[in-house]
Amino acid sequence: MMAPALVFLVALLGWPALQVVFISFRELNLGELVRGEVIWTGFDNYVEVLSDPEFWTITLRTVVFTTGVVAATVLLGLGLAVLMRHLSRGVRMALQISLVLAWATPIIATTTVFQWMFDQQYGILNKTLVLLGFESYSGHSWFSTGASTLTVIGLLVCWQAVPFVAFTLYAGLLGASKDLYEAASIDGATGWQAFRAVSWPALRPVLAIVVFLSVLWDFKVFTQVWAIRQGGPDGQSTTLPVLLYLKGISGSGFGVAAAVAVLMLIVLVLVTWRYMRLLVRSQETEL
Amino acid sequence: MHKTRGQRVGLAVLGIAATVFFFFPTYWMITTALKTPAQILSPDYDLIPLSVTFDNFASAFGKDGFTSFLTNSLIVTLGSVAVALAAGLLAAVPLARMRFRGRKGFVLLVLIAQLAPLEALFVPLYLIMRDANLLDKLPSLLLVYVAFTLPFTVWTLRGFVKGIPVELEEAAMVDGCGRWGVFRRVTLPLLGPGLVATSVFSFVTAWNEFLFALVFIRDKGNQTLPVWLSSFRTAFGTDWGGIMAASVIYAVPALVFFMFVQRKLVSGATAGAVKG
Amino acid sequence: MRSWSKSLIGGVAVALAVAGCAGSGGDTGGDNAQSGPRELTVWLMNGSAPETLTNALHQEFQAAHPGVTVKYEVQQWNGIQDKLTTALASNDAPDVIEIGNTQSPKFAQQRVLLDISADTASFNKDQWLSGLEGSATWDGKQYAVPFYAANRVVLYRKDMFEQAGVTAEPTNRAEWLAAIEKLKAKFGSDKDFQALYLPGQNWYSLLSFIWDEGGDIATQDGTTFKAALDSPQAKAGLEFYKELVEASGTKAPKDADEQTPEQAGIYGGGKVAMIIGLPWEVATAAKSDPKITELTGAFPIPGKAGPAPVFQGGSNLAIPANSKDQDLAKEYIKLISSAKYQSEFAKAGMIPGTSTDLSALEAGGPASAAMAKSSTNGKGVPATPGWATIEAGQNPLKDMLTAYLTGAKSIDQATADANAVLNEAFAG
Repeated sequence: MMAPALVFLVALLGWPALQVVFISFRELNLGELVRGEVIWTGFDNYVEVLSDPEFWTITLRTVVFTTGVVAATVLLGLGLAVLMRHLSRGVRMALQISLVLAWATPIIATTTVFQWMFDQQYGILNKTLVLLGFESYSGHSWFSTGASTLTVIGLLVCWQAVPFVAFTLYAGLLGASKDLYEAASIDGATGWQAFRAVSWPALRPVLAIVVFLSVLWDFKVFTQVWAIRQGGPDGQSTTLPVLLYLKGISGSGFGVAAAVAVLMLIVLVLVTWRYMRLLVRSQETEL
Repeated sequence: MHKTRGQRVGLAVLGIAATVFFFFPTYWMITTALKTPAQILSPDYDLIPLSVTFDNFASAFGKDGFTSFLTNSLIVTLGSVAVALAAGLLAAVPLARMRFRGRKGFVLLVLIAQLAPLEALFVPLYLIMRDANLLDKLPSLLLVYVAFTLPFTVWTLRGFVKGIPVELEEAAMVDGCGRWGVFRRVTLPLLGPGLVATSVFSFVTAWNEFLFALVFIRDKGNQTLPVWLSSFRTAFGTDWGGIMAASVIYAVPALVFFMFVQRKLVSGATAGAVKG
Repeated sequence: MRSWSKSLIGGVAVALAVAGCAGSGGDTGGDNAQSGPRELTVWLMNGSAPETLTNALHQEFQAAHPGVTVKYEVQQWNGIQDKLTTALASNDAPDVIEIGNTQSPKFAQQRVLLDISADTASFNKDQWLSGLEGSATWDGKQYAVPFYAANRVVLYRKDMFEQAGVTAEPTNRAEWLAAIEKLKAKFGSDKDFQALYLPGQNWYSLLSFIWDEGGDIATQDGTTFKAALDSPQAKAGLEFYKELVEASGTKAPKDADEQTPEQAGIYGGGKVAMIIGLPWEVATAAKSDPKITELTGAFPIPGKAGPAPVFQGGSNLAIPANSKDQDLAKEYIKLISSAKYQSEFAKAGMIPGTSTDLSALEAGGPASAAMAKSSTNGKGVPATPGWATIEAGQNPLKDMLTAYLTGAKSIDQATADANAVLNEAFAG
């Protein structure tokens, strides 16, 4: 029964990923790729990437960015999931529709809309802030520093990612039997106690995978970071995926890019290692 | 749980605030689609558009080949949702219910499979599709999208299968249902919310994917909507109003799909089996 | 340990096999496809050639070559790098491709394009556009043919100029600045008015000023380039940019380029007297206000004395080394670079790459005419593979402009930093 899934995972994810590892030990630029030349260079690509002090700054920045965005996304998503359970039908439907729209809107449109909203001169945000009496925001530039730029990007990513998290957690909550809630309520449990006793066990496995996936996606997010300021100003919002793009596509150095990809993977494994062990173990025992 | 009036109002206010927050950028996109370039960048305070133009929508629909792009996108997206759900469910049941050698390994594979950045995979995947003679054909995209969404599908559905008490299935068995009958009448309805979450996830992923859609398909007759969307950008500038109008059109099928699965699956689950 | 090394060797063998087939189409070019019906795959970019032009061209080409079908595929700019990369490596590579002029040296250096040095005469070489020609050559060999280009001009509101008492189009910097003063005196009471809308990162305009001062982005020695933004001439160009920003009182963001937000939309709002832009931005502005087309005039970007040199952006045509029908591809390029079709490009509002006949462009309205006027003074960016990395990546010229204009860095610091980034990119 698992055969189809296994075939997909091995052939279309595992195998290509392995090839990326091999490519990282080769000199592979556009010319070599087109002519099919194979030039092994050992660890040269890794030396090139790791010897650049920028790399460590970028790695740290990526980890911090990911942590912030994941925390915000999961907390908001969890809050919305619980909220949805308690809302009346009409409001819940309105909220769900707005979430689906946020989720389904093409990234290019969302990113552009955010750029406009945050525009220095013509953005609705600055105009609104001024209208509310915050005069200093007239002409405020949201993209003048790396930190500010990354915050806006984080908000954008968060806005797009929360719907997925909220829906998945909501599905997990629905999975918990209503009888249990009623039993808890008859026993005189408060809302918080009912949440701890009934919702939490049902949520935990789903929450675990949602956090895991959010870490992976937010760590690898590229399109939005690139579209907002190409990793600028002065490279201050460059994250690892942007570096991968700069080396691979802009520079057509697929060998170096593959090395960045492998290093990214290692960082990801390090960051999620404990978590992955927890996931694997918990699936053996209680889940 | 019974709530007081105050609690109900408070919750409703929270719900509406969240709705507004998440709807605002979409709202801004819709109103932008109804504006001319100068109105988009007007110095006035224009939370509500003062005048509207439908030119952007006209030019979006007027772009040639819209119907063929739409058909292709629907085929690829619905196809990959169906395949991902089927393969995911097939894998999720034994993972949740049976103990066998290699189970741990499989779980680990599912987890690790998602680590690699997709942007780095496109060259190897391109070579695979070329050697399989699938380039320029819609199945190439379908297969890749299934692979991207399968790990999440397997994992989530496994959790839901696990959450169904075995006793429930056994009771149905005693009542004279066959294995398939149990699955159809008991397991499947209880999986409802999980199926909604995973299928909407697969839908949105496949519906919006651009890079592989661009690289794998050359023949215009086989291209999908994301490529159509990008045709609003040329070297001479970008038709932003057009992109916004197109994006509005673009989000509609996803919304329809969501409403459809939501009604079919969740109502079935809550009305039927849970109480029983 | 043993199993580790074993699996490594196995993997290496597989990777070799995979890589091996990547080039299988490479050595079959030339004359293996002479008999039977043939197909010539042509990739042009979205918005390049009007459909009427390609229809006529392909009809004529197919009539002249019986049995040949032109498979014409329009490509999107978005993601073109990825698409070209995979397509050039595939065993059915296109036969003719359009590539951006700044990308061309990279493709040439990687030897993925056919060397056409021997055929340039049949592609009208004596009439090639100066701004593109350099980008199509690498290490003394010709790898591409200029296709079409465009350069920026100053678009202005004739009615505002008239009301402010500016009677003649400015032809040098002093007159330009004087016009700005007059405009401000007349319309300055409107707080939304801008005499010139100039965002901080319009680096194409900066290039004009640097070239006008006699500076350049980089100096060339054979195939090696050395960044020269720290030269006194380049700094003088940068200083003039700042002078212009300050004199015009532009409200444009200092940390963005002319596309975010789109300057044509702002011009279309009717509160801006001038922008530095491309002729077709008038059409975008006219979407907001149709009257703007006839109210708009244009003049070449002024220099210290007379028009300043301008950056010419555009495309080249090339034949991938993996093309299976290179002779036919040459025939195709020969036809499209002939005067007949080049004049069609001029009619469509672009500077033709292989024809000096600009009469159709001059007749195409004030903006096109101004573009034609300055096109003889067109220049390109350094023709080095490193430039493709810069333009598809992070552009240090933009960072330099923002840092200098906002006062975050001194002019010496800003230019030195940008110079360092450029040199790194040039070194590969």
